[in-house]
Amino acid sequence: MFFVKSVIIIVEIIIAYLLQTSVFTGLRLADVVPDILMILTASLAYIFGKKSGALTGFLCGMILDCTFGSLIGLYALLYCTIGYMCGYAHVVYDETDYTLPYFVIGGAEFLLNLLYYVLFYFLKGDLDIGYFMVRYLFPRVIYTVLVSILLYRLINLNNNLFTRLMKKKNAPKEAIIFKGFDVVGGRRNI
Amino acid sequence: MGREKKNFSISSKMIFTFLVIICVGLIIVSYLFADLLAPVKTAVGNFFVPMQKGISTIGSGISDKLRLFSDKEKLIEENDRLTEEVNNLKMERQILIHQKYELDYYRELYENDSVYQNAEKVAARIISRNPNGTCDVFVIDKGEEDGIVKDMNVTAGGALVGIVTDVGKNWAKVRTIIADDSSVSGRFQPTSDTCIVKGNLKRMDDGYIDVEMINLNAEVYDNYEVLTSYISDKFLPGILIGYVTNIRKDPSELNKRAYLTPAVDFEHLEVVLIVKTLREELEGFE
Repeated sequence: MFFVKSVIIIVEIIIAYLLQTSVFTGLRLADVVPDILMILTASLAYIFGKKSGALTGFLCGMILDCTFGSLIGLYALLYCTIGYMCGYAHVVYDETDYTLPYFVIGGAEFLLNLLYYVLFYFLKGDLDIGYFMVRYLFPRVIYTVLVSILLYRLINLNNNLFTRLMKKKNAPKEAIIFKGFDVVGGRRNI
Repeated sequence: MGREKKNFSISSKMIFTFLVIICVGLIIVSYLFADLLAPVKTAVGNFFVPMQKGISTIGSGISDKLRLFSDKEKLIEENDRLTEEVNNLKMERQILIHQKYELDYYRELYENDSVYQNAEKVAARIISRNPNGTCDVFVIDKGEEDGIVKDMNVTAGGALVGIVTDVGKNWAKVRTIIADDSSVSGRFQPTSDTCIVKGNLKRMDDGYIDVEMINLNAEVYDNYEVLTSYISDKFLPGILIGYVTNIRKDPSELNKRAYLTPAVDFEHLEVVLIVKTLREELEGFE
């Protein structure tokens, strides 16, 4: 169960990374790319909890670090922390709820960009936060939430199918044991 | 159920702390010993590049298919126009070939060896860009296997795009001249005054990057060409960078600064040329 779940999550991360760097770079709106990896991290954190959120965030950030980052571990730290924080929303998780997750994703993206500004601009001496907000932060948050309307449904659907499959796999065994008992009991009665 | 949840929350906290410690450790290691983690970067790149290549091939395939649907009449009209243009160009080419012989002769006399034009070049397709959506870094589909090494110059349409910073088996990372951490030594075309061209992503929204360290006495005017200079140890001399505008005095009053319009359209870049001659090799030959 745990193994299959991890494989599914890793495949999802790979797909998300490819979407973000190769597909959505061609579909830029207002010169920004939606943060698919953040959508995935926040969604999984919301669905599965803090542990999955932190681990998914760590892996997503690690891939970004290894391909586009200058320091390895910086993106991983950001994504991991935000994934962990999104995990707190798991308490109110409901698989039929399609309103709250967008707020979680939007909030996560907002926080990520704010931290990104502090680390990459503020510490360099660039104090023009207004420019950063209008040029990058708000377009990115809006585009990310828009894309997440579709993607969160897919991720959630995938997760629901997976849990149902697992339940089915476990269910027949119990039924057989029960039936056997019943039959034995019935014979005794005869 | 209750017990399970308790275990879960304890382990999640531990896992988070553990991951944060790993991250901080990696940041410190990669800051102090940049080369130590390079193999990891290369391995990750090698894993993703084949898939990205596939996507970009499919993407260009789809856009080609879409273009097939565009108006037939438009294509015929364009064909006629182009045929006419080809004929004209053929004529011009004949004239230019003659002029080129002359030019070569004068160049030999002047020893102004335009290295860039004679160097071997490889074409490469951009397969992934910075996930931020900015155009400062991108990955191309040629790597070690095609003879690409670090510090090779990247051009498009005869103008400078950037420089190769990381190389994998079949991919390479290119930092463009508009990136904030890029600075290229340049010179003005007619006057040979030197300057430094610095990337500036913020100003690039208006289509400019910075030119700094222009001599106060330099006689430079708007729309002068800026080429890569002979001083640089990484960039080949004589590649066009862009055109200068808005020349003004530096606040320090020690030199002048200006804006530069890059000759390359970074937003719509798809294919680039990599110059296979390195600056160091050039020094060797001389």
